[in-house]
Amino acid sequence: MRWLTIGTLLVLGCGTARRSEPLVGPPQLASAEERHGQRVFMQLCNQCHPGGDAGLAPPLNNKPAPAGVIKLQVRKGLGRMPAFPESQLDGRSLDDLVSYVLRLRHTGR
Amino acid sequence: MRRNGGYGAVGMAVLALACMPRFRSKGGGEIGERSAVRRVSAADVALPPGYQIEALATGLTFPTGVAFDDRGEAYVVESGYAPGEVFTTPRLLHLREGGRFDVVTEGERNGPWNGVAWADGAFFVSEGGELEGGRILRITRDGETTVLASGMPSQGDHHTDGPAVRDGWVYFGQGTATNSAVVGEDSAAFGWLKRKPAHHDVPCQNVTLSGQNFTTKNPLTPDPDDQATTGAFLPFGTPSQPGQVVRGQVPCSGAVMRVRAAGGPIELVAWGFRNPYGLAFTPDGRLFVTDNGFDERGSRPVFGAADMLWDVKPGQWYGWPDFAEGRPVSMDRYGEGPITQPKMLLASRPGEPPSPLAYLGVHSSSDGLDVSRSAAFGHQGDVFVAQFGDQAPVVGKVTNPVGFKVVRIEPDSGVIADFAVNRGKKNGPASKLGTGGLERPLAVRFDPRGTALYLVDFGVLAMDSSAHPRQGTGVLWRITRKGAAR
Repeated sequence: MRWLTIGTLLVLGCGTARRSEPLVGPPQLASAEERHGQRVFMQLCNQCHPGGDAGLAPPLNNKPAPAGVIKLQVRKGLGRMPAFPESQLDGRSLDDLVSYVLRLRHTGR
Repeated sequence: MRRNGGYGAVGMAVLALACMPRFRSKGGGEIGERSAVRRVSAADVALPPGYQIEALATGLTFPTGVAFDDRGEAYVVESGYAPGEVFTTPRLLHLREGGRFDVVTEGERNGPWNGVAWADGAFFVSEGGELEGGRILRITRDGETTVLASGMPSQGDHHTDGPAVRDGWVYFGQGTATNSAVVGEDSAAFGWLKRKPAHHDVPCQNVTLSGQNFTTKNPLTPDPDDQATTGAFLPFGTPSQPGQVVRGQVPCSGAVMRVRAAGGPIELVAWGFRNPYGLAFTPDGRLFVTDNGFDERGSRPVFGAADMLWDVKPGQWYGWPDFAEGRPVSMDRYGEGPITQPKMLLASRPGEPPSPLAYLGVHSSSDGLDVSRSAAFGHQGDVFVAQFGDQAPVVGKVTNPVGFKVVRIEPDSGVIADFAVNRGKKNGPASKLGTGGLERPLAVRFDPRGTALYLVDFGVLAMDSSAHPRQGTGVLWRITRKGAAR
C-alpha cells in the first residue's frame, strides 16, 4: 500500500507542469482572493516559476504539495528560493497566493 | 493519522528527489550537435482559440525587426552580428510575394542592427555598433542612408536598441557594456575585451563610487597567474576609490535616449537600465520598455533577477547597477551567501527606482514588444513581448528552458499570460523539442491596421560555454484572428 501511494504520487507529481494559456486555457479564477493571489504571484513568483512551470527554479504545477507546505516554503525559503517574511508578504496575501497556486495547478486538469 | 502522515512525508521526500532538478543546467539552447536544417511548421505552435499563425518567410539570417511603410508593406532587418562574434552583413529587406525579399540596402560591419521603425517617410534603424559604436540611421525607401546619431558606447556586452518614433523624435535604448558595471573575465569570454581593453560603462550623470573592487585573472596578459583589480564604471584593471566621482556624459550606458528625426544632439530620456532592448509607445503616448535583468556571471554576478517591463518617465533613474526590479541587489535573494552577495557600487543612489509594470522570467531575454490597438485583433491595450529565450549556461543555470515564446501582459495588473508557445509537454525552442515551431522570438509588431501581429524569429542559437548562431534559420511569422480580412 505504501509503495502504491508513493508510486501514485510520483506519477501525479512528475506530470507536465505546463499550464500555458494556449494549451489549456486561462485559469478560471473564482474569487477576488484568487485574482489578488494572481497579482501577488506575478510580483513574487512568476519570474522563477513562469506560469507555475519550471524556469530558473523547479516547477510548481505538478507538485501535489498541500497549502500548509506551500505556505511554509514561502515563509522559510528552500535552497536558493528566498524566504518571504511577513514584512514582504502579509498573511492575507499569502493565503490568496496559495489559493491562486492551487487554482493554477488544476487548470486544464 | 501518524501512519498516513508517515506515508505523506515519505511520499513528499521521494517526490522531491524524483523531481528535483539536477545541478546541470537545462537551458533551451543547450542542444548539442543537432541538424542545422530548420524545419518550420505552424501546426507546432499553439495560440489561444480563434488565432492562427503562418510562416511568411524563412531562410533569414539573424533577423531582428520588422516595420511597415506608408503603403503597409513589410520590411525586415537582418542583424549582421550575432552572439558568438559572428559577423555577417546587416540588411534592410523588402518582403515580396511568396516569401521573397528584395534588398533595400546593406550596412557596414558594425552590427547588430537591432530593430527598425518607419515614420515620416523613412526607416529608422538602431545600429548596435559592436565594432565602431552605436548609431541611429535614417534610410529612405530607395536605400539612401543618413547617420542621425553616433558614438554610442556599444562595443561591449549590449548594444544600441529600439527604435521607436513619436512626434519627430527617434527614441532608442542603449545597453550596458557589462553585466553589472564591472569589466571582467566574462568580457574577455564574450570577445570584446581584447578588442577594446579600455571599454567600460559610462554613467549618464556623475556617480560617486563606494570603492568596491574585484580581483580576477588577467586575460589581457599571457601570464596565467597575472591578476587585475577593477572597479565599477572603470576600465579593466583600474581599481576604484571610496568617494571617487565618475563623470557622467551623454551618450551613456544603460539608457533610453532620443534624437530628432532630422538629426541633432542626443538627449537623455531616462537611465539606470541594464539592456533596454524593446521600446514601444501606446496610442496615448506612454513609453513602454523591456529591460533584460542581471545575469549570474562575471565579477559581480546577480542571481534570480527578472527581466522587466517599465513605464518610462523622463528623468527617472531605474536602478542599475545597484537595484534589480526596483529592489536593492544587496538583498539575500540576489546572492549566494556573504562572499558573493552583491554589494552596492554607488555611495549614494541617483534616485529612487520604481517598481516595474511586470516581472518577466529570469533569463527569458524579453525583448521586442508592441501594444495591441485594435478590437479586431483583441486584447486592446495589452503588451505583447517576444522572448528570445535563455542563453544558459553562459547567463546562469536554469532548470528548464525559459522564454522561447510570445507573452501578453496586462499593463495595469502586471499579469502575464502566454500567447504563442510551442506544443508539447515541455517548454523550449523547436530545435530542442524536435519540432517545427518557434525558435527564438525577438521582435513583434502589429501591422498598420493592428489586425496582424508579425513575429520575428531570430533562428537557432545553440549554447555551450559560448554561443553558436546558425545562419539562414530565421523566420518571419504572422498571427491573425481566424476569419479576419487581410
